[in-house]
Amino acid sequence: MLRSLSLVKILRNCSLQSIRYFESSTQSSSFSPESSANPIPQQLPLIVSRQLEYPHTRYPPLQAWLETLGQKRDDKLGIVDLHPSIWQTSPRLDILYENIEWQKTYKKIDWAYTPPHHEYPSMRGKPWPQKGTGRARHKSKFDPQWKGGYKVHGPKGPTSFFYVLPKEKRVEGLCTALTVKLHQNDVHFVDSLDLPTHQPTYLQELAEDRFWGPSVLFVDDTDIMPHNIMFASAKTEGFTLMPVYGLNVYSILKHTTLVLTIRALNKIEKKLLHALHSCDNPKDQPAPPDEP
Amino acid sequence: MPIERGLQYLRQMQRVTLKNLPMPLEKTLKWQKAHPDETKIKAIMSRKGPISRNALPPYGIDPIQAEGRLPWILTVPKEPYYEGIEEARQYLPISLRTLQRLIDLRRINPEKPIDLPVLCNTKLFSIQPDQRQFGLQLIDEGADLFSTPINLEIQWVASELAIAAIERCGGVLTTRYFDPISLSALIDAKKFFERGEPIPRCDTPPINAVEYYTDPKQRGYLANPDSIREERQRLAQKYGYKLPDPSKFSSLFRLKKDPRQIFYGLEPGWLVNLKDQTILKPTDSKFQTFYHS
Repeated sequence: MLRSLSLVKILRNCSLQSIRYFESSTQSSSFSPESSANPIPQQLPLIVSRQLEYPHTRYPPLQAWLETLGQKRDDKLGIVDLHPSIWQTSPRLDILYENIEWQKTYKKIDWAYTPPHHEYPSMRGKPWPQKGTGRARHKSKFDPQWKGGYKVHGPKGPTSFFYVLPKEKRVEGLCTALTVKLHQNDVHFVDSLDLPTHQPTYLQELAEDRFWGPSVLFVDDTDIMPHNIMFASAKTEGFTLMPVYGLNVYSILKHTTLVLTIRALNKIEKKLLHALHSCDNPKDQPAPPDEP
Repeated sequence: MPIERGLQYLRQMQRVTLKNLPMPLEKTLKWQKAHPDETKIKAIMSRKGPISRNALPPYGIDPIQAEGRLPWILTVPKEPYYEGIEEARQYLPISLRTLQRLIDLRRINPEKPIDLPVLCNTKLFSIQPDQRQFGLQLIDEGADLFSTPINLEIQWVASELAIAAIERCGGVLTTRYFDPISLSALIDAKKFFERGEPIPRCDTPPINAVEYYTDPKQRGYLANPDSIREERQRLAQKYGYKLPDPSKFSSLFRLKKDPRQIFYGLEPGWLVNLKDQTILKPTDSKFQTFYHS
């Protein structure tokens, strides 16, 4: 059941300016899933403005629908403002490639090891005398041309492919991934991840009705998620839950749709804008705001 | 607009997935074949002959059909349009407009003397001493807007209007030369002190700059102060403003650096210890004579 009071609390965090209709009708509204008897009291979607830090000089804020998971019918609750520095950057696919390659290779350790010739058994002793046997002349049984012989310049020991991509590229990668998803209609903003039932079929049918692709990534503020969505996504293949601190370019592009809560959106924008607008060295940088 | 065009393509094209991303050019075989590694070339090429022995004839000559022809390097005339660019000094521009803006936004304190480290701490200028950049120069854009008295120390001034604009408001301008070693100490003072080197002694300017820095018209730091006072009066008469009373200046406005001094309040030769918050001064006479000369 949709808790309308919680929505008001959430929207108060993003300093709102025009929400009169919603507040007046909270007492009367009480949602239930698949309800056509109790429609939403607001007749039109409202514009709930969010105050954006570091406003962009050229572009005005983008706008997107605010939806619910509380009911199957796709009623929009309002419009959300998005910051153009994050959601309207140039679609640099090469930076996305670099981020994904980094995510794949920084954990990679190559365990291949071929022992060199001094780690082989003793080389003394010709296998057979130099002349008289009719076979080729050899000095030892473990030369490179032999089967089972040593390798001269082979891989030596565990090699790590660890490297850290510069912070500006990682931040730029996240911003481009989000723009790419937004401009290809694969991002949906949701008030919260509260579901009316824990049945996985509810979520699956909801996603199918709204054409939300085979794989969906739900992103919330904290790592403690409501019970219903945990159960439902555990039973469906392709649905994953993620807190904001786990957001990465690989996951964003792997899943076809991205579903963000308003709380997650606030946190993401705050962190990314803080990173985009700071010019200190990593040593001098002050602590980022709002650790998880 | 390139961003909007790119986003337009995004909207029309397929969904971007992990498999759709373009490989960077350097990883394709075509590029690698066109840009072979030096070690690869050496391994493939022969170890004998004029190429490997650096004994090729000059370009433009065929050894079989030479017959008195010159190589191209002697037939093509020289056109030295950029002669002397390797020794030329560069100064990054700062306009009066930006100065006024920084003062209004309270990024610079006009009550204290404005110096090169003060301007570099705003992180608006990236001065690179190894690129033959010798500091900042003052530009006269915004001369009408400028309206705060400041004690400014800059490395070059090209126009009289800029000097007049500062002195009309009651400010003081000096042009000062810094050699590259002291410049690298000034640009990032914190980094320099963390290195643990004594403060360097500023060198005299090169010969082609001595005339500039001894000229009272450019308010050089090596010029005679009496002639500077004369020039201030002359400029005031030329541009038609009244010089404010010198007695009204605060003591900070009269702060001037010694020709060998880099930082206000710190002498050359001193070692600043940031961790223990102390300064170490040399006591040996030869060091003192060197740094004070």
